[in-house]
Amino acid sequence: MSDFFTEAILIATFASGVRLAVPLLLASLGETFGQRSGVLNLGVDGIMLLGAFGGYYTVLKTGNVWYGLIAGIGIGVLFGLLSALISVTLLAEQGISGIGVYLFGLGMSDLLFLKLVGTPTPISKFPKLDIPGLSDIPWLGGMFFQHSVIVYLAFALVPLSTFVINRTTFGMRIRSVGENPEAADSLGVSVAGVRWATVTIGGTLAGVAGATLAIDLGIFQQNLTNAQGFIAIALVYFGAWRPIGVMLGSLLYGFVNALVLQLKTLEVIPPDLSNFAAMAPAIITILALVIVARRFRQPTALTKPFTRGT
Amino acid sequence: MRSKKWSWVALVFAVALIAAACGDDDSSTTTSPDAPATTAASGGTETTAAAAEALRIAVVSPSSETDLAFTQSIVDAVNVIAAERGIPEENIDVTENMFNIDDAAAALRDYASQGFDLVIAHGSQYGGSLEEIAPDFPDVSFAWGTAADTKGLDNVFAYEAASDEGGYVLGVMAAALTESNIIGVVGPIEVGDAKLYVDGFVAGAEANNSGATVRVVYTDSFSDVALASEAAQAHVAAGADAMSGTAQMVVGAVSVANDEGVLWFGTQANQSSLGDIVVASQVYKWEVILRDILDNIDNGVLGGEIYVVDLENGGEVIEFNDAYDLPADVRQLAEDTIAGIIDGSISTGG
Amino acid sequence: MAETPMLEMRGITKRFPGVLANDNVDFDVFAGEVHTLLGENGAGKSTLMKILYGMYQADEGEILLNGESVDIPSPTVAIEHNIGMIHQHFMLVDTLTVAENVALGLPSSRGFLTDLDVVSEHIVELGEQYGLEIDPAAEVWQLAVGQKQRVEIIKALYREARLLILDEPTAVLTPQEVDQLFDTLRQLTADGRGLIFISHKLHEVLALSNRITVLRQGRVTGNTTTEGATRHSLAEMMVGREVKLAPDKPEVETGGAALQIRDLEVIGDRGNVMVDGLDLDVHAGEILGIAGVSGNGQRELAETIGGLRQSNRGSITIAGVDTTNKPPIEMRHAGLAYVPEGRMKNGSIGAFTVSENLLLIDHADDQFLSRGLYDFGAIREHCQALVEEFAVKTPTLETPVKSLSGGNIQKLILARELSGTPQVLIASQPTRGVDIGAAEYIHKRLVEQREEGTAILVISEDLDEVFALSDRIAVIYEGQIMGVVDPADATREQLGLMMAGIRPESVAD
Repeated sequence: MSDFFTEAILIATFASGVRLAVPLLLASLGETFGQRSGVLNLGVDGIMLLGAFGGYYTVLKTGNVWYGLIAGIGIGVLFGLLSALISVTLLAEQGISGIGVYLFGLGMSDLLFLKLVGTPTPISKFPKLDIPGLSDIPWLGGMFFQHSVIVYLAFALVPLSTFVINRTTFGMRIRSVGENPEAADSLGVSVAGVRWATVTIGGTLAGVAGATLAIDLGIFQQNLTNAQGFIAIALVYFGAWRPIGVMLGSLLYGFVNALVLQLKTLEVIPPDLSNFAAMAPAIITILALVIVARRFRQPTALTKPFTRGT
Repeated sequence: MRSKKWSWVALVFAVALIAAACGDDDSSTTTSPDAPATTAASGGTETTAAAAEALRIAVVSPSSETDLAFTQSIVDAVNVIAAERGIPEENIDVTENMFNIDDAAAALRDYASQGFDLVIAHGSQYGGSLEEIAPDFPDVSFAWGTAADTKGLDNVFAYEAASDEGGYVLGVMAAALTESNIIGVVGPIEVGDAKLYVDGFVAGAEANNSGATVRVVYTDSFSDVALASEAAQAHVAAGADAMSGTAQMVVGAVSVANDEGVLWFGTQANQSSLGDIVVASQVYKWEVILRDILDNIDNGVLGGEIYVVDLENGGEVIEFNDAYDLPADVRQLAEDTIAGIIDGSISTGG
Repeated sequence: MAETPMLEMRGITKRFPGVLANDNVDFDVFAGEVHTLLGENGAGKSTLMKILYGMYQADEGEILLNGESVDIPSPTVAIEHNIGMIHQHFMLVDTLTVAENVALGLPSSRGFLTDLDVVSEHIVELGEQYGLEIDPAAEVWQLAVGQKQRVEIIKALYREARLLILDEPTAVLTPQEVDQLFDTLRQLTADGRGLIFISHKLHEVLALSNRITVLRQGRVTGNTTTEGATRHSLAEMMVGREVKLAPDKPEVETGGAALQIRDLEVIGDRGNVMVDGLDLDVHAGEILGIAGVSGNGQRELAETIGGLRQSNRGSITIAGVDTTNKPPIEMRHAGLAYVPEGRMKNGSIGAFTVSENLLLIDHADDQFLSRGLYDFGAIREHCQALVEEFAVKTPTLETPVKSLSGGNIQKLILARELSGTPQVLIASQPTRGVDIGAAEYIHKRLVEQREEGTAILVISEDLDEVFALSDRIAVIYEGQIMGVVDPADATREQLGLMMAGIRPESVAD
């Protein structure tokens, strides 16, 4: 136990939690936009996988991680638009159509990997950036300010998303459409337009999340996300549909995972309890969900397709 | 070809439906004569003529055939055997990524009813399905691994790897090369082949260097690459300068080893392509036992045997990475250890 | 009145599959007047207004605004033409603030950033001008119903509406709030706006309107100025025949208290106290009406008596049997009949047939069973008799209930509930959304049941109904009875004050 409380280990644990949180944060921020406007996109994990492969493959071929990120964005936009077409314009049952996108992403990313790459081959990763000044702070510097560039970008999206949702006319429209689309429609707000935009934002961030995951790991493997997209969706509920809540949820999930792993590594948790410890992140998240669900209401129109005059 | 496959699927479904409809009492009398009869009609007679020159082999496996680990090892072996025996490519079929056991069962039954001569169920988790499927196809030979028993079925071969042996050798090498005297291991779930390998690795490391600390962490997932990566980071943070790991999610850990300049010891397939920090890999040559299995099938024996690949029978080899500059004394130590295990003077039991 | 009407709708026809919703309807509004559109549910009022507001497109006909023909393809265009609509079900986003609701859909003076401070200022100005005071920063879900309506009106005024459509705006208001609303509306017409008022509350129509147009089955069946119109003449235009607005009520000797409620406390869906230490007696042979603004515990009270909801404290006795927190079946055995507020939600099963719905309670009764199996002959006979007795209009007994009209479903539920001669009848909103003909029939049956000696509790938000039916009126406010009055002595104004939470003692100065 005493091993655990060394500075190096504690810093490493927190840093690990931050890294684990980042893909979840990106994906769940995107999903927050969709859900605030009333659209549940269960295809997040599929789009993440496609973004992950696209990002990985681009870096593999070009050696430039930024091109990889752009590939993730492009794939995300494309599949965000596709998801919007399915759920907003074609009014598909949201609980089912997203699973279709997921299965497509799972299968297609694996097939493309098999045909285009073959064996997992390491690629370059995002460059590390120590934030000048902040990274020198004892303890905190090592935990939060010695990460790869993409980590800071992901966290910068949190205040930006909060601002967009709460302080812009677009954000006001998102909230109104998710809460009472009939009312928004009666005031001339294009319900479909707003939802196309939010679902596309969600797809884009899912694509970025996938690309980030692959480029930060420097490797691709079939089903690389390991269902992180679904955890991201749960985190949106956990975060009570607020970017800051989503961030706290992602960090909590990441930290608990990192902590359990570190405690197992140092054998603070005996190996025979390892299975139980592995469930901790899920259990803690579910408990938090239960508590939060009692306090916050979900967007009233969530999962409800909108057509005028119904 | 495709339409034939689907008509077979339909037939299997029909039989299954009849069996279900007849209930438990009748199923033994209705299904059993039916299913083998249909198999014999086509699976048996139709393909026997072709099989005289070339067998048909199918593989059902939980991960990707390019996973640089478990699945790739069996697919590589089947390809080696196919080349040796001149089996044409179209006689080999692989269904990968069957991490869902029900899907895997459907694939196994599909292959058996298509008249494949050998259906390889490459995953210990497929045992339950095989127990149900194999009796329905007495003319088809099944191979199941990694597993140490044939479930009492005379058309099932079992195979496993003495992965503790290779693990022991790699552990000895890691202990010889570490400078920090801290070695990290990333495992998936503490069962089967993975546990055997990890235990062997730890035993080897501790036997060769009593001052070394070997830390093992099981991520409790075969597929979580990100968690494997973080596990490796945790080892590095705790001072490890040599690491090993097993299962397909381990590429995440190798990637960290690459970044941090930490030595890596691979298993299940040659992982040298992952970087020049890879010192050596334990590689399974399942072809060693596949040869025996196919000989048995040729002689009309469709199962009942249990095979183990190990250092002695050459089914397990240590492949050194040419890109890593391995000191000659450590290389010698490895060779001596291999020889010791083969002649029995070294026990991997730790 | 100006010479050119601000709105003229000419020959509007709108067809839906199988229905002619509007048939060659003419309608106009002059600046400065209130023109009421009167008609029963399904008469085509809403369709006509949705066409005007751009939510539907007319198949035939033309709309002229200030003499010029216009095309209104969407609400946005209607708003551009200075048409505003106050919807019956408020078109408000509960989680947004008042200012956000008002600003929604409008361009901001700061581009993509919101300008809620500017909007708020203007809201306060409008509020002062028209007596619509409201806190722009309040979130809508916190507002009382009357305040929400103010927000709706402000929304329209903020968009500079000159022509305002008010769809049943008084449905959820207390009489005092109605008076306040009417003051505001009169001020709006005084400023030269035109108002279209949709209502079926005849006395309100007479109080507010300048002109009245009556629709029946999609057609204009009457056109009158308010002078010379009476409630009876309007009701006859709506229904097409003579109508009794209040049933004849013979004197009935009342008996003992068949329904006794003591110190009842019930928690609502959101965890707050909805019925708060309520005491009530209903005697055999009387109709006790409960009046109140919706959401003051009426629904919870009815559900608790009916066994659909558990009480926290207190007791309920039906015909001498303590049924507190007993399952519904025991209440039935004690002699309770229950016509719930939600016809389709709790009162019937839409996908079931007429017969099946009639048998929902008695399905295990011996008279319908023969050696343990259903005796379909007996069932048929029983159901046929009920359908005929209660004048339920249905093609067959096997028709699914969801394809019947609201009035017929309500009659069907009444037929089922009254088939067992109950000791106590709870009728929650018995005629809400029901056509006048059906309402008239339902009222008649309730009065007849009273003569049979049943104790009847009628819960209604329609004060006219409460006055017409009740022998005594109890007013509920925040889960408590504010007082019980005799309808012969009470006035609407007295009831209105009690509905707003003011006890009669403090009123009588």
